[in-house]
Amino acid sequence: MHSHPDLTSSVIQGLGAFYLVLFLMNAIYTYFSFKKGGHSKFLERLTGQEIPAAAMWALYSAFLLMIAVAHLTSTSSPNAFLFKLPEWVKYYVDVIVADPVSFSVLSVVLFALMILLREWWVKPVVAWILLNVSVIALGLSMTDWDFRQIVGKPDNVPIVAMLFIVGFFTWLYFRRAIENDKRIDEGRDVFEKEDNEKILVWPDLVYTELMCMVILTVILVAWGILLHAPLEEPGSAVKTPNPSKAPWYFLGLQEMLVYYDPWLAGVVFPSVILVGLMAIPYIDFNKGGNGYYSFKERWFAISTFLFGFLPLWVAMIILGTFLRGPNWNMFGPFEYWDVHKLEVLYNVNLSEYFWLYSPEWTPWVGAMPVAPPDASLPQQARIIFLREAPGFIAVIVYLAVLPPLMAMTLFRTYFLRMGFLRFMVFSNLLLMMLALPIKMVLRWAFNLKYIIAIPEWFINV
Amino acid sequence: MAKKLSTEEILAAARKESGKGEAKSGKPADESPAEETGQASEEQPVRKDSVPARPAAAGKPKSTADILAAARAQAKGGSEESESRPAAKPASKAGGGAKSTADILAAARAQAGGGGGEVKSAALKKATAAGDKPAAPAGDKPSVQEMLKAVREGKPVPKSGEAKKTMPPRPERPAPKKSAKKEERRNVLLALVTTPFAFAWTCFSTASLAATLGVARFMFPNVLVEPPSKFKVGPPSDYPFGGVATKWKAQFGVWLVHAEYEGQNLIYALSSVCTHLGCTPNWLESEQKFKCPCHGSGFFITGVHFEGPAPRPLERVGIRLAEDGMLEVDKSKKFQQELGQWVDPASKVVIS
Repeated sequence: MHSHPDLTSSVIQGLGAFYLVLFLMNAIYTYFSFKKGGHSKFLERLTGQEIPAAAMWALYSAFLLMIAVAHLTSTSSPNAFLFKLPEWVKYYVDVIVADPVSFSVLSVVLFALMILLREWWVKPVVAWILLNVSVIALGLSMTDWDFRQIVGKPDNVPIVAMLFIVGFFTWLYFRRAIENDKRIDEGRDVFEKEDNEKILVWPDLVYTELMCMVILTVILVAWGILLHAPLEEPGSAVKTPNPSKAPWYFLGLQEMLVYYDPWLAGVVFPSVILVGLMAIPYIDFNKGGNGYYSFKERWFAISTFLFGFLPLWVAMIILGTFLRGPNWNMFGPFEYWDVHKLEVLYNVNLSEYFWLYSPEWTPWVGAMPVAPPDASLPQQARIIFLREAPGFIAVIVYLAVLPPLMAMTLFRTYFLRMGFLRFMVFSNLLLMMLALPIKMVLRWAFNLKYIIAIPEWFINV
Repeated sequence: MAKKLSTEEILAAARKESGKGEAKSGKPADESPAEETGQASEEQPVRKDSVPARPAAAGKPKSTADILAAARAQAKGGSEESESRPAAKPASKAGGGAKSTADILAAARAQAGGGGGEVKSAALKKATAAGDKPAAPAGDKPSVQEMLKAVREGKPVPKSGEAKKTMPPRPERPAPKKSAKKEERRNVLLALVTTPFAFAWTCFSTASLAATLGVARFMFPNVLVEPPSKFKVGPPSDYPFGGVATKWKAQFGVWLVHAEYEGQNLIYALSSVCTHLGCTPNWLESEQKFKCPCHGSGFFITGVHFEGPAPRPLERVGIRLAEDGMLEVDKSKKFQQELGQWVDPASKVVIS
């Protein structure tokens, strides 16, 4: 398929530096672990002896140092270098990730695990191990040529950084929220109330801000010098780069455009997202978590928001950046971006599904109504509405009938506390957010193109 | 300074011509106040120079008598230098100026004596009103000027009833009369007030119009660098059946396709603009489809959409077999399948 070498000497050298940094990080961690003391219960169960946790980390750091040295001093042929990702791992990762269904199932499962296992993964040790695993996985993946092409692109470097930053801040939130949840359970004051020592804006806060400003400026300057922003060919009205990608922060919108009509995905939904985010303080009746971190007191609000942010926005950015290749097909991270990759798709509108007419098998359904070419506008409108009736009914049921049903069943207490108007706003925002994954599933499972399709008037849902 | 002098003048003129003036007093008196009331408010701010002297006169409730008294008192204090100047000027103007002043005074006297109680009270009110507002008196001077002018020019007299009532404030006018030089200066001032604005607006409108026209000019460039919308693409034999010619895409944005559509053997030109969001799809020979790189829309060789988000088929552009046997594409015409326009003979060339 392609003859690019997975490993070259320069890649090995670079990875050596990469592992050296990881070693340093772990060496520092070992130091703090030593200062803190403590034994690893896991190792105690395994060996029956009390082994200090710091010893484990020292051992691991030493191993990383050896790996780094092995990379940095390697002089033999790169092809003979053994420390790389096995092919079978690449294969299975590709199979799972390159399929939109398994990718989104994976992201939703990870999201659910994040919520359910929150008390486990917020422990610093666990979080540190997870970080190490992800960093080593990244380093190993770099031994693959295709992966390097995508992840190592100067354009995409900030996205990799962003993923780690999002992970860190999510961890930070859960860490503090869970500590407060424990305190509330025990009847103690929350952390923010106990630790209410006040500091001065000047100089404490301003000084911190100044330092952040300086450091970030240095990072930006260094980044601008070291990684050259890629310039593409001159623009042309008749040639579109393949693949053609939006700025990374808009890739969620671009992914939405695959499933929804331009005016809906490009205008209506972004506006609803913005207005909806602004509306949160007005539809939120829960006073819990006001001024302090807490998950238990705001589990619904937090979970809903994080669902919208992580699987529906960040995961879409990952998908758009790393997995969408030529012709907007999905590619695994270790897969060659083949322009001729064939994805068999045949998308069908709901009306075409509904008006499946055959005189023998479905005589009760008429043929799909088609407007005669010389029909007047009212005639045309009548026929179009008849043709798209199933879609209209589905949309009306979804947006108008579901909210009262929700109020009567699942969200009874919410309805009582919110009142009619606020509940209607809330339920419609929720339903619109869920409309995206629903439409995605419909597209993948049933090849459904549009629920309401009126190409004559450029309106589709 | 000037003020005092002018008052003096007025008095002198009044004494001199009192007899003459009385006969004519009726008309001028009537019309002047009407003018004055209208002008007072407008011109107040402008005549700042004459303001200082005013308060003395304005402060006094009873119009004519008071003013005269004040004028006399002031005249004593007047300086020599100022005296000489105004004296000359009034003389030149004497004909009109003296007459009108006399008229005014006469009218005032007539009012004071013969005027009904109501008139007096009205006058009183006016005077006090003028006294309340320090700025008001300032406006009177110009108005007198205007009045005089109006009288001289023989303008029609405005409403008479109201004019009578508003007469009393007139006494303040004497001041403006002071000098012809002032008058000239005032004309300049007037011009400065009115003309610059008019001038500025004219300039602004002209500039705006020129800018708009300049922008409109861009709609008609001297040279059109875009390719013509009508162009020849060679004979039909250049396009074998089942093929998509991409050679016109880079320049003209069309594909020439020779394929079967609805049982007809056709050559047609498809616009290379995706019907989803306007990217340019690519023709994939091995997959026999047009595929858009932006959101993955796919189209059959016929141009009909079948995958991805594109809601409608690619658009055809006009094509015909020209008289010389060449195919001619006309990009100015569009044919949309969902509107039933692909049956139009101008959208295809039937190959038999």
